[in-house]
Parts: sequence; C-alpha cells; structure tokens
Amino acid sequence: MSKFAQGAIALLLLLVIALFATQTNAQNVRPPGDAVNLESTGQPGPSNALGDRSDSEIWDAFRGGDPNDLLAPRPDGVVLSTTGQHWREFRENYINKYALWLPAGVIVILTLFHLISGKMKISAGRSGNMIPRFTLNARVSHWFMASIFILLGLSGITIMIARPILVPLLGSKVTSVLTSAALQGHNLFGPLFVVALLWMFIKFVRGNFFQIVDFKWIFKLGGFFGGHVSSRQFNFGEKSWFWMVILVGIVMSATGLALEFPWIMEDIRLLQLSTILHGIGAIALISVAIGHIYIGTIGMEGSIDSMLKGEVDENWAKEHHDLWYEEVTGKSAKD
Amino acid sequence: MGFLDFVEGPLFVIAAITFVLGALWRVIGIIRIGRKKDISPPKGSAAAGFIKGNLRHFFPRGIFARRTWLHIIGGYGFHIGLFVLVFFAAPHIAFLDDRILGFGWQGMPRWAFVLVADVAFAGLIVLWVRRISDPVMRLISDWEDHFGSWLTFLVMLTGCLAMQQSHDVLRAVHMLVIDVWLIYFPFSRLMHAFTFVLSRGNTGATYGRKGMNL
Amino acid sequence: MSDQSKAEIAVAKFLEHTDAEAASFFEACVHCGECAQACHFFLNTGDPKYTPTYKLRPMERAYKRDKAPFASLKKNLGLAPSKVTEEELLEWEPLVYDACNMCGRCTLVCPMGIDIAGTIRKMREGYSAAGMVPEGLKSAAEYVKKTTSPMGVTIKALKAQIARQEKITGIPIEVDKKGADYMAIFSSMEIMGYPEVLGAYAKLFKKAGLSWTISSTAYEATNVGVQIGSGALAKEILERVVNAAEALEVKHVISPECGHAYGAIRWAGPNMMGRQFKFEVVHIIEVLDRLRREGRIPAGTKDDRRMTLHDPCQIIRRGGLLKEPRSLMDDACSDFVEMKGAGVTNFCCGGGGGVSANPRAEDLKLAAFNSKAEQLRGIDGLQAVVVPCGNCRAVFEDGLDDQELELEVLGLSELVADTLENS
Repeated sequence: MSKFAQGAIALLLLLVIALFATQTNAQNVRPPGDAVNLESTGQPGPSNALGDRSDSEIWDAFRGGDPNDLLAPRPDGVVLSTTGQHWREFRENYINKYALWLPAGVIVILTLFHLISGKMKISAGRSGNMIPRFTLNARVSHWFMASIFILLGLSGITIMIARPILVPLLGSKVTSVLTSAALQGHNLFGPLFVVALLWMFIKFVRGNFFQIVDFKWIFKLGGFFGGHVSSRQFNFGEKSWFWMVILVGIVMSATGLALEFPWIMEDIRLLQLSTILHGIGAIALISVAIGHIYIGTIGMEGSIDSMLKGEVDENWAKEHHDLWYEEVTGKSAKD
Repeated sequence: MGFLDFVEGPLFVIAAITFVLGALWRVIGIIRIGRKKDISPPKGSAAAGFIKGNLRHFFPRGIFARRTWLHIIGGYGFHIGLFVLVFFAAPHIAFLDDRILGFGWQGMPRWAFVLVADVAFAGLIVLWVRRISDPVMRLISDWEDHFGSWLTFLVMLTGCLAMQQSHDVLRAVHMLVIDVWLIYFPFSRLMHAFTFVLSRGNTGATYGRKGMNL
Repeated sequence: MSDQSKAEIAVAKFLEHTDAEAASFFEACVHCGECAQACHFFLNTGDPKYTPTYKLRPMERAYKRDKAPFASLKKNLGLAPSKVTEEELLEWEPLVYDACNMCGRCTLVCPMGIDIAGTIRKMREGYSAAGMVPEGLKSAAEYVKKTTSPMGVTIKALKAQIARQEKITGIPIEVDKKGADYMAIFSSMEIMGYPEVLGAYAKLFKKAGLSWTISSTAYEATNVGVQIGSGALAKEILERVVNAAEALEVKHVISPECGHAYGAIRWAGPNMMGRQFKFEVVHIIEVLDRLRREGRIPAGTKDDRRMTLHDPCQIIRRGGLLKEPRSLMDDACSDFVEMKGAGVTNFCCGGGGGVSANPRAEDLKLAAFNSKAEQLRGIDGLQAVVVPCGNCRAVFEDGLDDQELELEVLGLSELVADTLENS
C-alpha cells in the first residue's frame, strides 16, 4: 500500500478516535479485569496473574506503542498495542453502547410527529387517475435492496449490541447462539448488498441529480411546516437519501468486504477503522431509513402506491412532484 | 431425547414419510382423474410430445425473454441454487450419508457455498418482491404463494445461520423448519416441483399428436 | 336440474370438464404472471385482470374445492377455497368470452406449459350450460340452428355466390356430386365477404385435375358450438358435415381458411362424434402444399408486392401447419417479409374464439389488434398482408381501418390461384 494511502487511513482513524474518544488516551487506559483493586475481588484470572506486584511498570511493559503515531508498528515484546486498545474501547464504550439511541430517537420523533400532525393526506383527495412512476424493474430493485437492508440491519444490530445489551439481558449462552447466527447471516447477505447497491444506482440515478429547484425546497424546509414546494421526479429529501444510500453504501460495502475477507488487507488497523466506519454508517443509514419507511408508508397518503403498483394518483403527483407531473403528462399541475 | 435428536430423528422420519406419501398420493390423485381417450387420427407421437414438452419449456423463447428476463434469471438462480445447496452442502451430504443413503460424495468448499447461497437468496428475494410490487402478481397471488415463499426462505435462512456449526440449537432450528416444510409440501403449491412434469407433458402430448414442431 | 342455481350448474360442468389434463394445469400454476406478458389483451390495456391464468380462477377454485386430491381434508380443516358464486361467474364472464381468443400464445411463455386456451374452452362449457353467454354468441347460435350458418347464410345465397364465381372464372362448380374425392366447406365470412375463394378453389382444383364438390346441406365450417362452449351444439353442427360427407362418399373434407373450424373438425371432431370418420379431414393449406409438391399446381409469375403473412392461431400455433403456408408464400410472391415474432409466437388478430361475433367485445378486440398493427408497421413499405383465415381477415379489415393503415388483405388460396402457371 502506498505511503499516501497509509497516511490518509491513519489520519482518518485518528480523527474518528479523537472526535469521540478524547478521554480514552493512553494515560487512563485500564488493564483488563480488576488489577488495580486486587483486594476487593480475590478472583482467579488475569487480575491475579500479576500477584501482589501490580504497578504501572508491569503494565507499561505489557502494552506499548506510541499513542500518537498510529503508523508505527507494535514494538517487539509488547502484548497490547495502544491503538488496538483505543479501537476496542471506542467501539465498546461508544458505538456498541449508544448505537441504538439514534434510531430510537428517530422513532420517538416520528411517533410524536405522527400523533400531532397525523398522516399527510392528499389535500385534493384521490383523483382515481393513476400515472406511471416506477417501472417494474425499478420497483424490484428497490425491494431487493430493502430486503437485503433489513436482513443486514437485523443481523448487524444483533452483533453490535450483543455484548453491552444482549449479554446482560439474555445471558452469554443465548447471546453466543444469536451472534453466531447473526454473523453467518450478515456475512452471507453482505455481498448481495453490493449487488443491490449497484442495481439501485443504475435504476435510480436518473432524476436524482441536484438541481436549482432543490434549493427552494431547502429554504421551505420541504414543506413539512406548510407552504408549497415544487419538485421534479425526486425532491431534495429523496435525492439526499439516494446519494446517502449510494455514498454511505459504498463505504459500507468496502468496509464490509474488508471485514468479511480480512486477508484482502494485511493491516489490522484498516480493519479496526473498518469496524468503526461500518458501525457509524450502519447507524446513520438505519436511522434515516426509518424516516424513509415512515414517509413511504403510514406517513403520507398515496406514497406506497408508487412502489407497489408503479403508479401514483394524479393528485398525489400534482401535490408532491408538480414539475415531474407536468413533464410526464404535459398538463399543468395547477388545474 | 434432546430437541436436536427429536427434530433429526422421529420428527424428521414423520416429515419425510408425509412428504413422500403425500406427494405420491397427490400426483396419483391427479392422474387418476383420467381423461377421455383421444380418437382423432394422430399426426405424430403423443409420448414423444410429452417428453419434448417437458424439455422445451425449460428454455424461454427470445421474443418473451425480453419482457421476462428478470423473472427468468430470478427463477433459475433460485431453483438451481437451491438444488446445489440441498445436494452439495457438506453438512447435507453428511446427513444423507448418515441417516438415509449410507454413502456420501464430495461437498462444496465454503466459498462456493456462500456464492451459491447468495445466488439462491437473490433469486428467491427477487421472485418474492416481484410478487408484491407488480399489479399482475398482486392480483393473482394468494396466501399460499406467500406462505410457500417464506417457508422456503426460512429453511434456507436457518440453514445459513447454522453455517458455523458451533451450536446445536441452530442446527435444530434448521431441522425443525425443514420438517415443517416437508410436511407442508405435499398439501401446497410447492407441489409444482412435481406437477410441472404433468402439465408440460399433457400440453406437449397434445402438440405431439398434432404433429406440431414447437 | 331446475332447482339448481346457475352457479351450481356451471360448477358441475366445470368439475365434469376438469379431466386429468386440466387438473394438472390447475395444480402446476405457481402464479408467476408470465402469461400476462404473452396476452395481447393485457399488453394493450395494462389491466391485470386480463392475465390469462386469472381468467381461469372460478374453474380452478371449483376444482380445488371439490375435486382435487386432499380437497375433502382441506374442506374439513376449513382450508378449502370458498364456493364459486353467481356474482363471481358474472364478473368473470367477460374475461372468459370477451378477453380470450383461445389463441394459446400464453402457453408458449408459461414455464409450466399450461394450455390456458384449451382450459378456457372447457370453462365455457360451464358458462354455456348455465346460460351465461354473451348476446352476440347467443344470436349466432340461433342463426346456426335455423340456417346452419352463424351469419344466416342460406343455401340460396351460397348458390348465388357459386353462380357468380362460375361466371367470372368460367369453370363450373358442381354441388352435391356423389363420389367426388374432396368436399369443401367454408366459413360464412368467406361465402359472403370473400366469395372469390370459391373461384380460387375452382381454378386450383381444375388445374390439379382433382374432383371436388360442395354440399348443399353442409357448407358451413364455422362451429359456434366450440366458440360458445356448448358440446351439444358443437356436435350438432359437426354432425351435419360428417353426415353430408359420408352420404356423398367423399374421401376428404377440406377445412377452409378458418381457424377454429379446423381444430373443431380435425382434432375435436372424432372425439365429439365418438367415432372416427370415413373420410380424412385436410386443411386447404395442406391440400395446396401437397398438390404443389406433387407438381399438380405449378407456380407461375410471382406477385411482386411486398407482402407478409399472418399466422392464424388455430392453424399455425395450435394446428401445426407452420411450414406449409410459408413455402406457398415463397412460391407466390417475390418480396415476402416475415413480421417480427412470426410463426408459432405470432400475435392473434384479436377476434378469434368467438370474440369477433360478440359486439360487446368490439372495443377490446380493436385494442388487442394494436399488437398486430405494430407488427405490420414494423415492416417498411408493406403493401399487402396474407391472412389465411376468413375470420381473421374480417378482423384485419376492421382493425386496419381503425388504425388508419392502408394495406390490402388477401386470402392464401386466392394468392396461390392468382399466381398459378398460365393464369
């Protein structure tokens, strides 16, 4: 691997860790177990392995490496590398522990939103005239992605929350079974995500490039708080979601493949980075996907038609995609 | 007797017997309805037509394939994938060797298993999502179509989840779903796996008698 | 019988006609929807209800409820499909009569090879027994009973057409000639709309030195009974022809350029009568092909217009005469171009299976013709289309008019007669 790439990866890893884990620097790394408070436990295991001579000297000899030089290899004779320790702590203390708060928050907000403002109705009511929106192949590619996404999401979350949440909840035996299953499933469906992503890109990239009209959409906050917003086949929200899926999806694919086939990359730090990016990307995608699912189903009248039947009600099109409606039908959306 | 022993032992035997006898009963039941003998002077052989009809319908015609390629790829991907998984996954061969046949053969390497399983899953998912997103499919599908798809999906899924082979529970769950699938099979549309021979053959025989070369 | 509801009558007939073949079709269908992609009614309307397998639903339900293996087990468990109701049958009636030409194109795309067309034919038996038949077909049946022809063509009218053709060609046509080798039958559409076919036969058979005749009691080939789905009526119509042919002691009966007529007499005929005939049924295309190969009707100057050939479903796809019309075409015209999808996968004209006799289905028929029009438009500089089926020909004329396409429509026999050596 080139020096440049190594440097870039190191920088990225450093940034990520520095951003979230400033306090887990080398100074307050704790050895595993309860090595510091020996007297209070007295249990066998690594904590007692040091005998009575638990002190910082031994621990310093145990681990090693310059915490500020991520590219430096682990010094000889050292058991634990500092960067590895950082990675582990960051992953366990931040990602795995708090990962679910974001999607959970999205669900709470959407529930409140739904309770307060209710389903977004087609204000003119349904016209009964349907106009084609997505071809069958586009729909199948969407649902193919959706299926793979759900399978990967469920298995991925299981792996992610196994230690901090499932073990205390279900015990380590059950968790072991679940994670074994989830890991196999996740590894199996992972490669299909790459296929789904590619298919999705090909089928939906047309119409998803940002345009001037999107700025107006942003200024009006998508019309969620009133006011009419114009948009073509896809509005700014949909376009952003599309590009987020594609771009984050590429990161998820790359990091996922690296983790599934670890022999592709020799450097363990790349794998460490991959787990972190993969986790963050997953949480981001899942959280926004919840919003996407909400608007596509119970949030907005008439939306689901486009993906189930391939056609939408004329009035729905006039309301939500007026410019597209005019393009497709050649009629004015204001009539 | 443990749960695994139960689903691999007595329950499996019951399921397998139900599968074999049920499927036989159904196929024989269809044939036994009988049909009037055709006395119009034939131009060709009905028997040859029966075989030809069966073979001919494996190959889609170009003029239709342009409209139905997704379904063809999905269908073949799923069915071929499933057959390969059933007969060439190493644990399956070991199971057949142990319990039924008394001999085994070479299984697939792990990478091949993953590849084939991915193809099979992709195919099944495409077939099912097409069922829910095409107005034609939504109109003609009934609960049996969905139930059969999902049950088969679960059989495949539980099998893959047990791939690490480190937990008996996962193996037992897979076996349990297989047992349910085997028992459900002869009473359901999954029977198309056998009845297609009859329907293709009957049409082929009619065409054969008429001396048609399709 | 009288206390039975219409639905019960229909269902009883459905069950009676569900033989092992139909049962295997109902059992094998996996609801994959491919058939929709082959059906010109679906393709031109986009309406899912025109999916071929969906048209069979009531009969399939009746079978699964009362006749299929495990039916009683499922009934006891409450898992059997519900009873077929009269409302449902009425809802399906236009699907069964207006939106199916029994063209059999769907069978070709079906991964299970299901013969939906043949099963629709059986299903119509139930509908016709319950009296649920479109008015247009009912009145055609009335005409048949009175005059033997669904269009009400009387023997007087036929004789007038014969006399005119004798005058034009200068060749006598003998009616009721006992001991002739061949007896020709025609569709009413040909007799009234395209009488030149009589002259063409006269010319061709004279050239070939073949003895033939027309019966004054059985000249009608169209079998409305088959289209309506009434086995009794179909047999009655057929009987006239069989009796006349056997009385005249002919060796062959020539089935005309008409789709259903051929299948009705050639393949279904002996089964309906319950016996083999004392004569052989041959299609006019077969006769001409045979005579051509024997050198009895040598080809002369070719027609140099750009022409294409329509494949009437019951003659080509379901009748097996694929190559014969093509070799006749090659001999008869110098610029023969096949349309896209020609041969066994060709589109139906949209009027077969009784649809063209059913005024209620007029719009649907014209919509379905759109597929044919697209095929025709796909050939640059096309001047004429050869349509070897009287019914298709009439549908073509309507359809071309509707689509504002200028094309000459010809019968194959006429084309062969016109391009005969020294003619």
